[in-house]
Amino acid sequence: MAGVFDPIAVLHALEDQRVTYIVIGGLGRVIHGSDELTGGIDIVPSTREENLRRLGLALDELNARGPDGKPPMLERDLGRQPVLELETDAGELKVVPEPAGTRGYDDLRRAANREPLGHGVRPSVASLGDLARMLAALSREQDLEPLHTVRRLVELERERSRGRSIER
Amino acid sequence: MTSGTLIREARLRARLSQVELSERSGKDRAQIARWERDVVQPSFETLRELVRACGFDLETTLVPYQADTRHDARLQKTLQRTPQERLGAMLKARR
Repeated sequence: MAGVFDPIAVLHALEDQRVTYIVIGGLGRVIHGSDELTGGIDIVPSTREENLRRLGLALDELNARGPDGKPPMLERDLGRQPVLELETDAGELKVVPEPAGTRGYDDLRRAANREPLGHGVRPSVASLGDLARMLAALSREQDLEPLHTVRRLVELERERSRGRSIER
Repeated sequence: MTSGTLIREARLRARLSQVELSERSGKDRAQIARWERDVVQPSFETLRELVRACGFDLETTLVPYQADTRHDARLQKTLQRTPQERLGAMLKARR
């Protein structure tokens, strides 16, 4: 897999600007234990005005630019497309205000957990259940394998954590 | 996939709260919460009732199954690691 990918640098920039967000997608799955490879970060930001302003500052810091090579104009771009795909000096970053099958940040934050990744970075990461929900809602052929892995991780985690009882 | 994640996924895709699902299905809200957390597991019939109350159905067919023990072993290994170690291992594998 080619290309620069420094997730810690991206997360640092977001944390430095105190952006409220949740990590989803491949990186979220890897943090939970998936054995896949990924080359970018997908985030769900809170779409409150002040948070989008902070996100804009973090994107400036990361030298983010859209497919046209220009810096994004967040409020305009997020209103036009469901996924804002950006290239930064630290790798790909996708901003997804409302991932498939969810109602966005406020929906995901309840089950999300802060995960320590070192270098003082502790991003909020969507739960395995929510990561599965997003993949299932997309109904794409390419997502079947990661979906199977996420669901298996849920099972393995549950097997590890408790005994079971069947109840009607 | 666990019954809890299936119930929660169906409920959230239907944009229902636990209270709303309780009203639709006639099941106790606290019990729905326990099922969703996999603290206890519902019977298959109850699971189907809950999923149907969300506007979905369970399509159950028997398909060949063989445990993917190698994949499971890889996942078990990553689960032993910390999130930081998982990220580090993935970045190393990309290089």
